[in-house]
Amino acid sequence: MADNGTVIGENIRITGHVSGEEDLTVFGWVEGTVELSQSLHVEPSGIIKANVSVATAVVSGVVVGNITASEAVELLQGGRMVGNIIAPRVVIADGAAFRGHIDMGEVDAPEASASSSRARSSRPASTRRQPSRPAVAPARPAARPAARAKDPAPAEPAKAVEAKPSKAEAEAKSSPAKSTKAPAKVEEVVAAPVKASGRKKKASAKEAAAES
Amino acid sequence: MANTIIGSTIVIDGEITGDEALYIQGTVKGRIALEESLYVEEGGEVEADIETQNVEISGNLTGNITATERVEIKETGRVVGDVKSPRILIADGAVFKGHIDMEV
Repeated sequence: MADNGTVIGENIRITGHVSGEEDLTVFGWVEGTVELSQSLHVEPSGIIKANVSVATAVVSGVVVGNITASEAVELLQGGRMVGNIIAPRVVIADGAAFRGHIDMGEVDAPEASASSSRARSSRPASTRRQPSRPAVAPARPAARPAARAKDPAPAEPAKAVEAKPSKAEAEAKSSPAKSTKAPAKVEEVVAAPVKASGRKKKASAKEAAAES
Repeated sequence: MANTIIGSTIVIDGEITGDEALYIQGTVKGRIALEESLYVEEGGEVEADIETQNVEISGNLTGNITATERVEIKETGRVVGDVKSPRILIADGAVFKGHIDMEV
């Protein structure tokens, strides 16, 4: 059991500073700061109230605090997090809850970070009345990271399925009345892998609507 | 799976509390309070005041120990501090410096 690193059991509570060079799996409670050169796993029963600095963080439990990861942060289904994430790769799975800011670093040149922060601050006040191009453009980089993060998994299945529906869709268009059966099935198939991106589209559509 | 393990490269500075067994192979400074057993394994470095049920020490420990049941210092163990417990075992080869109180 000692083979894969450190385990903080469900009934253990640590307050203070935790650092090390191995994997840390938390089923219990850690409060303070966590600094690891390897990965942190927060299991469904785990609660972290700390600023975390790791290589990778995989969260299925609760994290309150900021995570700085040199590689990736994965917020899995059931994972809940309040805080900011700084990591080149961020994955937020369906069913995860997150509130905070995500910074993936050099997304779109140096101006991206500056403009996205400007967009954030200006969006509520000015962008509604002035749907000017520059205001809309910076909003996009902010949305894109999430899209990219989700892509690796759903990208292929989505593509694979897209080929099929094109035919079905054509049918659907030509005969909308009788097509209910076939496209319904296709939709089901599509729904699974594309769910995430579909929702994303909705989200970005909403965003666009809010801005216009 | 209920056991907690502090691996050999881990350093904890602070407080650990809980009610399950804790195995320390790394470094812990501060305070440890458990309603269960504490194992300071070989290579483990603990600089903390400890309140537990049982303690088994094969590593280094500096600090005061209060155990409700038993304290055992194994042959590779090294303890500096005061120990208070109804049962105390010190193995041949163990190093100990401090006061012992068996509540006699």
